[in-house]
Amino acid sequence: MRTSLNEIKQIDDHLFSQATVEDALLFDAMLIIDPNLSYKIMWQKRAHQLVQQYSRRTLKAEIESVHQKLFNEPANQSFRQRIMNLF
Amino acid sequence: MATFDLLNNTPAEREQFFITLYKKGFPTVAKYVSKMGGSFDEAKDIFQDALVIYYEKTVNSSIEINSNEQAYLLGIAKHLWAKKFRDDIKLVPLDSYEDENGFIESDYEQPSPNKLMHYLETAGQKCMELLKAFYYDKLTVNTIAGLFGYSGVHSASVQKYKCLEKVRETIKEKSLAYEDFIE
Repeated sequence: MRTSLNEIKQIDDHLFSQATVEDALLFDAMLIIDPNLSYKIMWQKRAHQLVQQYSRRTLKAEIESVHQKLFNEPANQSFRQRIMNLF
Repeated sequence: MATFDLLNNTPAEREQFFITLYKKGFPTVAKYVSKMGGSFDEAKDIFQDALVIYYEKTVNSSIEINSNEQAYLLGIAKHLWAKKFRDDIKLVPLDSYEDENGFIESDYEQPSPNKLMHYLETAGQKCMELLKAFYYDKLTVNTIAGLFGYSGVHSASVQKYKCLEKVRETIKEKSLAYEDFIE
């Protein structure tokens, strides 16, 4: 793996606390030596936030299509009626 | 307990999982929301958010759900209803909290769509799907290699980091150009 990808992996291991004790110590040392590393960590955290946001959005679309199935298909009419009677 | 094999976490499996949870859980939640004076649409929104939370707990194997799914979904829904009520009357500021990875979570409401997300969804959808499979759906690297057609686990892993780098660099560039890309 090229160097920049190794660094991405190291930051991931740091973010998810998956590094070995030795690697974690090494990473802490790198943080002191390389002032850009903390920025890279910040951007990588944001990337993970965005992946989570994207994933939730995709999952919600799947859930909505289940909803449409349950509330529009004739086979589920009794389920729909049971819910609608509550409102 | 509605659950599925994580090795087989495909869209078809998830659909079945959610249909089961909908049939079991939605009547109770709808009854509760209706009793509290809520509408059908409010019940639907709250229940769907509860399903997202339930899914996340299920794929995160470190957390065990001890009660049955019906009670669990109702519990989340009650919490979300109370939160919605607090937020609606604006007595309490929107709170956020950090999850175990230190990420700030804006609870479970979807942040408003933004240009950056749109960009990543269109220009980098394959990467976003791959990253979702790894980090959100928590599929094993073997499963991912098969699903995405990689020759082996090594190339799937390499691709994961390439994609993460691409997303990271995109966010960095766009954010530096447009401060308001990041919420």
